[in-house]
Amino acid sequence: MSDLVTSQVGMVFLYGLITAVATGLGALPFLFMRRVSPKNVAIANALASGLMLGASSGLLLEGARYGTRQTVVGGALGVAFILAGERLLAGREAAFGALRGAGARKILLILAVMTLHSFSEGVAVGVAFGGGAKLATLITIAIAVHNIPEGLAISAVMRPKGSSIAACAGWSIFSSLPQPLMAVPAFLFVEAFEPLLPYGLGFAAGAMVFMVFLELLPEAYESASATTVGLWVSSSLGAMILFQRYL
Amino acid sequence: MLAEPVLAVLLFSSLAALLAVLGVLPFVSGRRPAAVWIAGAYALASGLMLGAGYLLMSRGLERGALSVVVGAAVGVLYAWWIKRYTGAHVYDRRPEAAEDEGMAYKLLLENMLHAAAEGVAIGVAMVLEIKLGVFVALALAVHNIGESMALTDGLSRRGISVSEAAGLCVGTNVPQPLLALAVFALDPVLAGLLPAALGFAAGALVFLVLTELLPASYERASGTVIALVVSATAGAVILLEDFFV
Repeated sequence: MSDLVTSQVGMVFLYGLITAVATGLGALPFLFMRRVSPKNVAIANALASGLMLGASSGLLLEGARYGTRQTVVGGALGVAFILAGERLLAGREAAFGALRGAGARKILLILAVMTLHSFSEGVAVGVAFGGGAKLATLITIAIAVHNIPEGLAISAVMRPKGSSIAACAGWSIFSSLPQPLMAVPAFLFVEAFEPLLPYGLGFAAGAMVFMVFLELLPEAYESASATTVGLWVSSSLGAMILFQRYL
Repeated sequence: MLAEPVLAVLLFSSLAALLAVLGVLPFVSGRRPAAVWIAGAYALASGLMLGAGYLLMSRGLERGALSVVVGAAVGVLYAWWIKRYTGAHVYDRRPEAAEDEGMAYKLLLENMLHAAAEGVAIGVAMVLEIKLGVFVALALAVHNIGESMALTDGLSRRGISVSEAAGLCVGTNVPQPLLALAVFALDPVLAGLLPAALGFAAGALVFLVLTELLPASYERASGTVIALVVSATAGAVILLEDFFV
């Protein structure tokens, strides 16, 4: 029995790790982006906005299945988290690698948001694994594929600010590392973790949506026409919703 | 809810159009509200439309993804065409725009064409389920208040009186009940088009928010205020649907 549990724990961790590494694939499209003009930055921001809005709508609905009120509370906490983060970082000289100032602040915030949201996704994976090992492979593939656009969103913010492809991929993977780490305890202690899940999912959705409207969209409108921004956001949002539904 | 579903469609879509008159109230005193209130009104309308667009899109996807995608693309094209065709900028605050009398007409035309897409949204929601339609109509009613506040701001800059603006705000929203009723009435004939119509409404609403309402909002207020209003209202629409429908 204990052997079975150990091997299952190993499997949950391994599968969680695979999903984390998949996030790094999101950096690859930026291999082909040569020039980083203001308009490209705006488009990257619009792309990240659409992907994050799509992701958060999925999180919100998933959270509502476990408990609407808890999801709302979690969402408000997520918004408060970003507001507090902004305040905290505004007071001091933000730095990310060689980058300083507003750009560094934005990268730090988006990495914090995406990393924190992986905690709740990790719990979701672990809780779902408890539902039966047969589903495990399916869930892993789904989460792994769904992580790729999240890596894309992170890279879309980092790459135009001058980060290398390796850094984009590395930080994308980093942002998903909480998935294997949280999946294991969530799998082992489903009863303890399940009540926390709607708060976590709501938190992630609130933080992401707030980040989009606070930072990403205003920056997009600054350097591209409203029509360009509208086309990129609506198509990436639509693609993300389809993606989540069918994968 | 009502004995005749079509009466519910008429009642709630007309109510949505009529409530637009409330957006004029802040101007009655003769003063113009501060820019941040106009920005807030745009942000409120944005959040409600994004929430409604999401609800319609997800209902459509349950019925046929390809039709929804095609419909959404048509909706985006329709909203794009409105922008090109009218060339209006509600939030154009340059002095020469204030003197351009034709601009006031363009604003009204633009608003009517927007209201047509919103009417389709109410209609398709009503077809799905009367309760969902009532919910979408109420969300769009609140959105109309915010939008007519912004419209009145634009019109008053061009010398149009508050009482005239009140009439125009309701008048430009008349396409909402008209299109809602038309969509509802045509449903038995065009039932196969429902997923596409849901996609159309969602695509048009989201694109209008992204190209008209949000840029206008960001011009007038800080990102923090806008982000708070949009995320709270969009989240409320998506989650409240669970309670209502």
